[in-house]
Amino acid sequence: MITGLMSHFAESGPAVHIAPAGVFTVDGFTITNSILYGWITALFIIILMVWVAHRVTVKPKGGFVQIVEIGVDFITDLVENAFDNKEIGRKYVPLFVTIFFFIFLTNLLGLLPFVGEGFKSSNGNPLLRPFTGDLNGTLGLGLVTMLIVYYASIREAGGVMKYLRHFFIGSPKNPLYFLIGLLEMLTDLTRVLSLSLRLFLNIAIGEIVIAVFSYLGHIAAPITALPFTMLEILVAGLQAYIFTILSTMYLAIAVNHNEEHAAEPDLTEGGVPETMERVNAAGNVHG
Amino acid sequence: MTFADTTGLVIIGKGLMIGLGFIGPAIGLGLIGGSYLSAVGRNPEASKFFGQALIFVAIVELFGLLAFASTFIVK
Repeated sequence: MITGLMSHFAESGPAVHIAPAGVFTVDGFTITNSILYGWITALFIIILMVWVAHRVTVKPKGGFVQIVEIGVDFITDLVENAFDNKEIGRKYVPLFVTIFFFIFLTNLLGLLPFVGEGFKSSNGNPLLRPFTGDLNGTLGLGLVTMLIVYYASIREAGGVMKYLRHFFIGSPKNPLYFLIGLLEMLTDLTRVLSLSLRLFLNIAIGEIVIAVFSYLGHIAAPITALPFTMLEILVAGLQAYIFTILSTMYLAIAVNHNEEHAAEPDLTEGGVPETMERVNAAGNVHG
Repeated sequence: MTFADTTGLVIIGKGLMIGLGFIGPAIGLGLIGGSYLSAVGRNPEASKFFGQALIFVAIVELFGLLAFASTFIVK
């Protein structure tokens, strides 16, 4: 409604912003509106999740706490099933649950009415913008996630050379396999860009669409912008899910590949196990 | 004033980018939806793959959004 009233008095054209605008400066370092709102949402998410964590009980009691539990169970199943070895998967569950909830709640908090053209700072720019609607924010998210994935893959592989070895399907001395290995490494590097661009573009274009439809219905802006706001709620959840599952798969590809190179159990003449338990390469029995 | 400024070639460029840029992702999304529906039609247990179909939708959607975003880069 605020946007509708303001666009009634504003000049022609919807207000479209792609780049963030500076709000105030600290020691000559400009703080933009998305950085400011990023701090506010991060603080809010931390307080909310700690409050939820104190209220989790063994028997579910319903309410908001149970909805968060549903989300956590969903991502836990996803991450554990992506890895061949569930123990490795269980180590990385907290990371991906954090990423999922952070992106989902940040996207949702960017749909509130006072974000965007509602409040203006002292130099005429919008005061608050969603953190993931800014390429700087999502590039940071993507870089940190992929750095963690690389570090984890190198640690699971046991060294940088062994990790690089899994890109080459044959011997690296064969020129064809060498080129294929180089292309695979290049594909790996474009993953950072594709992850961050996908998240940023979905959220920023959602904002632009809502701004256009608020502008088209001058006084009736709340009615014309309502369907697209509901679509943006769906996009918020979907993009958080996509980011999480793609990072999980990138990690799982690197880690599972290393598990393949472990010694296969010998199932010839005397070695067929008679029970339902499986014996892995280290000789440990697990069901 | 260059030739491009006086004839307004920027607008034609932006129009072409948006128009031609959305053909590919639209066809791609239609193919994904069609193959998901025919798989479910053959075997109704295949509806557990809905999550994976949405993953491919997001990957294809990226190229449509890149076309839309490049109109803001061209001055």
